[in-house]
Amino acid sequence: MAQELDLIRDVLDKQLVDSDDTKMGRVDGIVLAIGDGAPQIDHFELGFSVLARRLHPRIEQWLQALRRWSPRRSARQIVPWSSVQEINVREIRLDLKAIDTPAFDWERWLRKHIVSRIPGSGEES
Amino acid sequence: MKKAMQLALGILTGVGGFLDVGNIATSAQAGAMFRFQLIWSLLLATLVVIFLTEMSGRFAAASKKALPDAIREHFGFSAWLPPFIILSIVHLLVLAAEIGGVCFALHLLTGLPIRLFALPVAILIWLFLWRATFSAIENSMSILGLITLCFVVAAIWHHPPAHEVLAGALPSMPSHDPARYWFIAVSIIGAVIAPFLFYFYSSGAIEDKWDRTYIPINRAIAVISMGFGSLISVSAIIVAAVVLAPRGIEITDYHQAAMLLTQAFPFWGYALFAVSMGVACLGAALEVALSMSYTFAQTFGWNWGEDLQPIEDARFSMVYTVALLIGSLFMVVGVDPLKLTVVTMATNAFVMPFITIPFLLLMNDRKLLRDASNGVISNTATVMIVILALILAVVSIPLTFLGKS
Repeated sequence: MAQELDLIRDVLDKQLVDSDDTKMGRVDGIVLAIGDGAPQIDHFELGFSVLARRLHPRIEQWLQALRRWSPRRSARQIVPWSSVQEINVREIRLDLKAIDTPAFDWERWLRKHIVSRIPGSGEES
Repeated sequence: MKKAMQLALGILTGVGGFLDVGNIATSAQAGAMFRFQLIWSLLLATLVVIFLTEMSGRFAAASKKALPDAIREHFGFSAWLPPFIILSIVHLLVLAAEIGGVCFALHLLTGLPIRLFALPVAILIWLFLWRATFSAIENSMSILGLITLCFVVAAIWHHPPAHEVLAGALPSMPSHDPARYWFIAVSIIGAVIAPFLFYFYSSGAIEDKWDRTYIPINRAIAVISMGFGSLISVSAIIVAAVVLAPRGIEITDYHQAAMLLTQAFPFWGYALFAVSMGVACLGAALEVALSMSYTFAQTFGWNWGEDLQPIEDARFSMVYTVALLIGSLFMVVGVDPLKLTVVTMATNAFVMPFITIPFLLLMNDRKLLRDASNGVISNTATVMIVILALILAVVSIPLTFLGKS
């Protein structure tokens, strides 16, 4: 069972797919837990603030300052390692539904306030 | 049988979709000013675009990933962000230029001012994207695009001197205006190797659910359709050389380009030019707007697909909506469509390294592509293309100032 996983090459920035085959975002950050034993992957981080931090901590601060206008509850979302179903060459499959998670805050907001108000958006079907 | 249909459709799409505002403008300028002498730059660009298109399609078919998706994953967010921003700006400029082309075509047909058409054209493009499926867009635009073959008919009708045309297929030094000569050469290459092409083509392969069995078809499509497509552009150069050059007309305005077909088709030459230009630019505008959505969605991992309803991929749909709105503003405020096109094509040449360098790495990823990875020939071609891209990037900026007109 001891399989090697290259975190930077094979996990970071990879596409996340939920149990409905919906693309849920990408692995923007990986957080390890360092406890008594060997370090373990605790969770993935998703969101613009995680991406901003990768560029520079100050950019993350600016982004946080902008958050008061954001429809997102938090600019960062956590995907626990326990919800990972499969990691293959193309994507990482999770056993949760993206629409129920904060990863889809923007998507939900746009659907509700903009897209569904434009005729022909497919809302009625 | 299905594969034969796919092949026919792919070729049709390539031929019908080859011509756009940049090709029309740069080919007309090249022919008007340097007669057949710049045909070589179009042939060189065609060779490059065949290799890059083939690799984009092969990559998508073998890995089931489109290019922006794979680039973000391979290079990481921080490395991809600067080229992503620059390419998005260039995509917007190209979109604005294509919208300008459609507006100009409508202006030619109706005589009404260009800026009047900006918003209606943007809304028309948006309606297509909002309602139609990927294959409906692909099929309708490729059939309509066949009207651009009228340039080939005109070129044959004019009986150009064969030895001069053939001589133009080889690079030669200009007898006059060297800065202008090289600027047009770079613009022609920038117009053919448009950056959105490969992101669009590879994402389209995913939309059409290509798998490894499509690799041979993809190769045929790349070679045949791009080859035939460039024949249309070469024809435009020939027609411009025969019709405009003897009268000493240098294209400084699209109205002059509109005379291209008036000798071969005396009564309806103007209208034919206007319709060809309108259709070609409309098709290209659809492709660029979609490419922007593909690139954004894949960069951030959003749900994407032109076959989904907008409500299912709200962020994807909003990218092209906002892009079309911004792109149409250029014409609303009265930017000259030809000047915008010419500058944009030089910008295309400038960003070529961002497009080409990732191919070197991605096409050699054996884990993803296995036996579909690049061989010696493709790799040699890619290295040479990257070198060409770097040279073009370096010379495009000074040439823009020296050779614009």
